Amino acid sequence: MEQFKKKFLEEAADLIAGLEKALLVLEENMDDKSVNEEVFRIMHSLKGGSSMFGFHKMDSFTHNLENIYDLIRNNKLKLSREILDITLEAVDHLKILLENGDELSKSDEKTHNELSGKINKITQNIQQSSNEPPAKAEAKTNEQNKPASDNLPAVDEIPTYHIIIKPFEKIFKNGTNPLLFIDELSSMGHCKVYAKTGKIPLFDKINPELCYVSWEVFLATDKSTDDIKDVFIFVEDSCEIKISKIADINLPAKSLFVKDLDNLMRDDDFCDTYKLKELAKTVVEKEKPDDELELTKAKNVTSLAKKTAINNIRVASDKLDNLMNLVSELITTQASLSLYAENNENTELTSIAENIEKISRQLRDNTFEICLIPIDTILIRFKRLVRDLSQELEKEIQFTAEGTETELDKSIIEGLTEPIMHIFRNAIDHGIESADERLKKGKPKQGKITLSAFYSGTNVYLQIKDDGRGLDAEKIRKKAINRGFISPDANLSYKELLNLVFLPGFSTAAKVTELSGRGVGLDVVVKKISDIRGEVEIESQLGVGTTITIKLPLTMSIIDGLLVKINETYFVLPMTAVDKCYEVKTEKLQNNFNNKIKLDENLVPYINLRKEFDIQDNMPDVQQVIRVKHEDQNVALSVDNIIGEYQAVLKPLGQMFKDLEIVSGATILGDGTIALVLDSGKITNTFDRETIKKREEVLKAKIDRENLEKS
Amino acid sequence: MKKKILILDDSESIREVVLFTLEKDGHEVLTAVDGKDAMKYLDGRELDLIITDLYMPNINGIEFIKEVRKIEKYKYTPILYLTTESQQSKKKEAKEAGATGWIVKPFMPEKLLAAISKILK
Repeated sequence: MEQFKKKFLEEAADLIAGLEKALLVLEENMDDKSVNEEVFRIMHSLKGGSSMFGFHKMDSFTHNLENIYDLIRNNKLKLSREILDITLEAVDHLKILLENGDELSKSDEKTHNELSGKINKITQNIQQSSNEPPAKAEAKTNEQNKPASDNLPAVDEIPTYHIIIKPFEKIFKNGTNPLLFIDELSSMGHCKVYAKTGKIPLFDKINPELCYVSWEVFLATDKSTDDIKDVFIFVEDSCEIKISKIADINLPAKSLFVKDLDNLMRDDDFCDTYKLKELAKTVVEKEKPDDELELTKAKNVTSLAKKTAINNIRVASDKLDNLMNLVSELITTQASLSLYAENNENTELTSIAENIEKISRQLRDNTFEICLIPIDTILIRFKRLVRDLSQELEKEIQFTAEGTETELDKSIIEGLTEPIMHIFRNAIDHGIESADERLKKGKPKQGKITLSAFYSGTNVYLQIKDDGRGLDAEKIRKKAINRGFISPDANLSYKELLNLVFLPGFSTAAKVTELSGRGVGLDVVVKKISDIRGEVEIESQLGVGTTITIKLPLTMSIIDGLLVKINETYFVLPMTAVDKCYEVKTEKLQNNFNNKIKLDENLVPYINLRKEFDIQDNMPDVQQVIRVKHEDQNVALSVDNIIGEYQAVLKPLGQMFKDLEIVSGATILGDGTIALVLDSGKITNTFDRETIKKREEVLKAKIDRENLEKS
Repeated sequence: MKKKILILDDSESIREVVLFTLEKDGHEVLTAVDGKDAMKYLDGRELDLIITDLYMPNINGIEFIKEVRKIEKYKYTPILYLTTESQQSKKKEAKEAGATGWIVKPFMPEKLLAAISKILK
């Protein structure tokens, strides 16, 4: 069973996630029966599985939860926000139950009991008011009388049946629980049940797998004998059932009859029908009629639930990581094979090498695809966050998501959740105003947060947009000056001002709240996003709202690049950044003091990579200038030679080089040499106008100094 | 004796327990995730027993049983359904749809085998 248990754990995690999702959908449209059905079905599956695999706490917990939604689907209970709140709390608790099984910590145990209490209260209320008997069988004692029937006003004009249930000893073998028949019978009308326990042997002789008990039931119901027989459908051959009508009046409601009966039942033998009929005749006292509610049968609503992944298989994520690593190795090896084939001018080998190149490229693409998962998978957490936070802060917020089918590498998704949660917290806490404030401003009462995802080129963009306060550029400027980030006379564009909020130690919220003011600023978001090679951008309009855009690479480990060479050193530039290549004479590059060169009639800031990497030897006469584009900026880079396109398997450089801003990693070439992979975005950022200006100043100062020294 | 058994359950773990138990007992087992999925097996092949869950997406257990009974070939194929204690109300519906019997969840492998051996005899 252990191996299945593991499977169940995985499955249950999915079910719980699905449940949470369905509940949030349900919250938007509380009357949607099909979603309610889905919620019920998931709970049911969860219950079935947990009982099967020994999660007893979870079993009874979900059972009670399921009851709520069973009542709702049968229109016996109206779904309310309160119920949803409790259910969502319960979903959180289910996660704990799943993790810990039946062994809970003290505090969890406390939550468990509290929640169970809350849940039971919901169903109890309704069950009492509608006289619905509890669905689950409780251990019954010798004499039993349904609490529900005590509250019933007794109807007199319904016939009483005498039912003898004598299960065969082996009845438990196929999982039948005779108590359930009694439950079902008692739900049909007014009844009195006596258990015959005389056959139970001495304790040490008891075989727990055998049934020793029989029952005698006196049921007053308006249902027919056939209806009663139906209760015992499927068990006719493992039970002896005898049903006989003993009177036309409701006998269990007559106290006199019950008293006589109690005396009769002391004897362990079954009552004789004739004797009972005689007894019934002597009971003449009249009592009030019993009005047993017709139980509305559960309407069998077709589950409209979407079909979930039939043709999918489950793979542990570390296996995927392994596969990805192997593919990377394969590509590296393939590169050396190609190189070897080329150098040896062996046509047969070359064609084999080309084939392998083709196949490994396909393998690479396929592996990528396998590792891609839709953003949808983390969406539920955001939904939940928005829901919980807005409730806590008493703000009304509508959350919409677009393009959530957009897929990203799983490792990127993993790294994405936390920073996005942070952005959401910011938006809800600081961005969106309270309902009153919004109304004053003439905005709709309900705030809006949108998460949209879309592809563009080889990147995925995620946008989180709110229609809240927006950022106050002036406030930011003042703060930045206060903190000493900029000088008071600095002339920054609006965008540059906004970008200041990404600086470490910058926080615009005047007061630190419990939610987003944890001393963690947006700089951490930027850091986390850049860890997965992404970039963050902010746009905002005061009073209108803020949009934060996250740009992400599709994948992290293999990139298409342009292989270039400076002297004997190889570099790889991401292909996505490369705009155009030019040949420029070296002297033209050297006689170029303001670090700008003219390309296609445009002046483009120019970075001499030779200088950056301090490579001096073998300066060629003609250099290759590559114009790289990043966002709306162009920067030209000079290299000696362009080798060509290259699939680079990105390897991290290790701790020692983590401060190297313009290098994002390294790759191993076919011949075993190492090439640095340049981060074009960082390059353009590092060398944007400001920096270049500064460099000019430094350079000028240096020249001035040199001139001074010379003179 | 080796029998051909079709099982339907949207829960993979339950499906696997049943599959494992039955295969170990020497039966040939087909699995389906819901009623719709299972329809593909009702192509005239021999089936000795069908075991189905009641709550499944697309086509649920009751509907599935009805569908099965519509096919002449499977009119008398035994159908057991999986149920939990609280779902007793479904019994009549299942019987009317044409179910032969039930198995109560949770069940241990022995219980499952006991239940089906009675049917298969």
